[in-house]
Amino acid sequence: MLAAASNPAVPLRQRFQRWIQARQPRTDTLQLTQRNVYILPTRAGLLFAITVFVLLLASINYQLNLGYVLTFLLAGSGVVSMHITHATLRGLTLHLKPIAPVFVGDAVLLDVVLTSPGSARFGIGLKVASAAPDSLSWINVPALGQASAQLSFVATTRGRNEVPTLRAETRFPLGLFRTWTVWRPATQLLVYPKPEYPAAALPPSRAVPGGAAKTRVNDGGEVEGVRAYRRGDPLKLVAWKKAAKAIETGGDLVSRDTSAAVHQALWLDWQGCGSLAPEERLSRLTAWTLAAARSNAEYGLRLPGQELDLAGGDLHRRHCLEALALWQ
Amino acid sequence: MTPALGGTAPHTSAWPGWQRLPRDARDTLFMLFVIGWTVLPHVAHLPLWCSLLTLAVLLWRARLALANAALPSRWVLVAVLILASGLTLWSYQTLLGKEPGVTMVVVLMALKTLELRARRDAFVVFFLGFFIVLTHFLYSQSLLVAVAMLVSVWGLLTALVLVHMPVGQPSLRQASTLAARTALWGAPIMALMFVLFPRIGPLWGVPGDAQAKTGLSNTMRMGSVAEFAQDDSISLRVRFDGPPPSPGMLYFRGPVLTRFDGREWRVANFDSLDTLRAPSNLQVRGTPVHYEMTLEPLRLASLPLLEATDIAPVLEGYRTLALPDLQWLADRPVIERLRFRAEAWPQFTHGPRTSTPALREDLELPAGYNPRTLAWAAELRRDPAYANAGPRVLAAALMNHIRTQRYSYTVAPGEYGRDAVDEFWLDRREGFCEHFAAAFVVIMRALGVPARVVTGFQGTDATPVDGYYAVRQSSAHAWAEYWEPGTGWVRADPTAAVAPDRINRGSRLAPVRGLVAGALGNVSPELLASLRDGWEAVNNRWNQWVLNYSRGQQIDVLKSLGVDSPSWEDLALLLIGALSSLALGVAAWAWWDRHRIDPWVRQMERLRAALRRLGLDSATHEAPRALAARVRSRFGADGDALAALLDVLERQRYSRTTRARPDAGLTRAFVWHARMLRPAR
Repeated sequence: MLAAASNPAVPLRQRFQRWIQARQPRTDTLQLTQRNVYILPTRAGLLFAITVFVLLLASINYQLNLGYVLTFLLAGSGVVSMHITHATLRGLTLHLKPIAPVFVGDAVLLDVVLTSPGSARFGIGLKVASAAPDSLSWINVPALGQASAQLSFVATTRGRNEVPTLRAETRFPLGLFRTWTVWRPATQLLVYPKPEYPAAALPPSRAVPGGAAKTRVNDGGEVEGVRAYRRGDPLKLVAWKKAAKAIETGGDLVSRDTSAAVHQALWLDWQGCGSLAPEERLSRLTAWTLAAARSNAEYGLRLPGQELDLAGGDLHRRHCLEALALWQ
Repeated sequence: MTPALGGTAPHTSAWPGWQRLPRDARDTLFMLFVIGWTVLPHVAHLPLWCSLLTLAVLLWRARLALANAALPSRWVLVAVLILASGLTLWSYQTLLGKEPGVTMVVVLMALKTLELRARRDAFVVFFLGFFIVLTHFLYSQSLLVAVAMLVSVWGLLTALVLVHMPVGQPSLRQASTLAARTALWGAPIMALMFVLFPRIGPLWGVPGDAQAKTGLSNTMRMGSVAEFAQDDSISLRVRFDGPPPSPGMLYFRGPVLTRFDGREWRVANFDSLDTLRAPSNLQVRGTPVHYEMTLEPLRLASLPLLEATDIAPVLEGYRTLALPDLQWLADRPVIERLRFRAEAWPQFTHGPRTSTPALREDLELPAGYNPRTLAWAAELRRDPAYANAGPRVLAAALMNHIRTQRYSYTVAPGEYGRDAVDEFWLDRREGFCEHFAAAFVVIMRALGVPARVVTGFQGTDATPVDGYYAVRQSSAHAWAEYWEPGTGWVRADPTAAVAPDRINRGSRLAPVRGLVAGALGNVSPELLASLRDGWEAVNNRWNQWVLNYSRGQQIDVLKSLGVDSPSWEDLALLLIGALSSLALGVAAWAWWDRHRIDPWVRQMERLRAALRRLGLDSATHEAPRALAARVRSRFGADGDALAALLDVLERQRYSRTTRARPDAGLTRAFVWHARMLRPAR
């Protein structure tokens, strides 16, 4: 960092980066035009240029008119291939589909849809800009059609992440030129903490009355609630005081419910994680959230400064995971 | 490499068919095929070992591709390469020059196919391929070679395109169409550059081995002209303004050979300016023959003009010079096809009228060679009839001797020994033109008459093609001249005495024909002749328009464009201007093309614009059906027509019978209905 600060090129480079980023606003749908498609000759293109030059020298020296024809045919094809290479990307529309949240360490799957407004496009490679050059995933786009490519990268930090810069490139048809575009999608990617593995045992749960729990406890000893009288209820189970009030208000008899529904009230607590470091606590809480959601128990989540009340279901699970992902 | 060949034997399997081959194997086989096709025409020039080695390597590589086996290690390649270099050295005694160079490039290309690991390797193969294509033109630029090499270039480009279509299994037809499209779109650039690229001279000396073989040269040995008796390639073409002169007059004069060392005839020494400036004393009579000549690049300074041309022809880019012996020279070897006009006088005399010291050289005979011929000449002199005879009588006597003493004219005279003239004149009596001419000159000199050998071409094809009479290598000829006091040099063609047809009707000794031509010629000589004439007419056009295109024609192009005194700078400017405007045009097209969007989207935008004018704003994500619902709720029965059209559009786009392109009629009807709706509101 110190070395970088003393380097006079650094501010310049930062300015350049800012300029580049301003040129490429974040968007989920990128229309490729002359303004955002770049092209340069490849190493093979330079080799080709040298070849054509040597052929030209030979044609001049030996006064070979057919040699001129060959040289200029190749030169013409090379120039045309430059335009074709550029036109392979130009005009395409890239669209990034919504991304499902993942856990840290998992692969994020990006679904990119390419749409061609005109002719068929061949040999387009897509990759995450920072990935190795040979990790391109190749795709053809049919004329007036769509094609989708999958890209993946590994999520490394929890929280709301920006999708890394993507890159589409092609060398079609002759490989003499490489044309590419840089795409910064606007979609943000939610990354949950990495679940602890092996997961610690869930904290002890407490049976709580009420609700439509599926676990039924029928110990007969404790009074847990009342319900409408059902034909065949023994008289000693009738809660007379309540029944009297109910009849007064035009209701029916009520019985004591000895086999009342209870559910496991499971509090996943930041404090219950012992003396772990914060990120490790988040990992453990994530693993517990997943386990609790699997066991269909109702659970709540207590984080410093934030508490999610007891509940169940997919939505609650997502809220809990989001809270864990975004906890500061 | 044979051990590896044996090693892959267990993989042998039936040919799965071109379509069912794995992609890699198919692409590799295709490339090997293209390489084979590109190298094939070289087989005639390459040493046998090189052709066989190339074939073996290509077959080996094909086998590896089919068996999906590993490529050989680099050491094997290095070993084969060293072996090939050794064989090249053994074949040519050098590694430099055209022939060894071509041999090594072909070997390298073949070996590189065994090393196709990365994309870079593939590029090396392609670019070597383009080099090999060019090397063919060093040998021949005929139409046939051009077509074969066009196929090669197409194949190489197709293979390049295949490399850059990494998805799925693109068909060869698809890739070759894309390659052809690339080349065709490049054709205007090619044509423009071909026409306008300034033709500048060679940048450095053309290597000696680039010389085309020709019957004309500054030296002659026994049998050196006969080598070309079988060579049907064309050396020059002439077109006469009037009726053509009789074949017996058509002598195209090349180098004049004066010095004889017993084995070889050489041109006189023009080592001093005085000898160069000696007058040729050319005097012409009668009417001149005007002609146009197209001279193939013989890579000689000598210009074989028709005898006797007295005024220097104008050659674009060359200066011409007349030697005292009536030979015409250019200031440097002619390495491009030249077209020029000249005039010749069939009746002429030249040479000194009276004896000069320079004539002494035309009497010299090497000591110790051909003693029996010299004795024969002395015998002739002792004959009272010839004891005091003049040169003309002696020449006639020799001609008569040739005519009556069963001499024969043959393409294959066989090898002659040290005293070649003795052997020919007294023993075997069969020879080609140079044998007769050399013997004639030796005997004339022995008789004390100055004489010399003249080489050149004699006669043309009997019938013109496109008005041009072709003169072939097989018309290369040698004849004699002797000096007569008071007259000068007199032409004497002893070949006319033994084979009058050769001279007077221009018919050459027919070389042995190839198998097909032979069969065809036996069945229908007329068909063979007309096929050949048709082919040569096409070939002549090719030569005139493509191969003959040089600086002169470029200047003509500029003049026709209105440039007064064109120079090559004008050419360069014009070329740069034309290429720049082409580039600008393409850029403008690309700029215009940026507006191209999906036609369905464009249609939808037009419909939504029409709705917006009616005061109904809609979002891009709204489908036609949703818009139809909004139109119905907004305009009620008035909007039924619009809503119905939107429903039709919905069906067009999303039902099973989807159209490939939007219906322009629907768009027009929608816009019209929307406009009708506006005043109603």
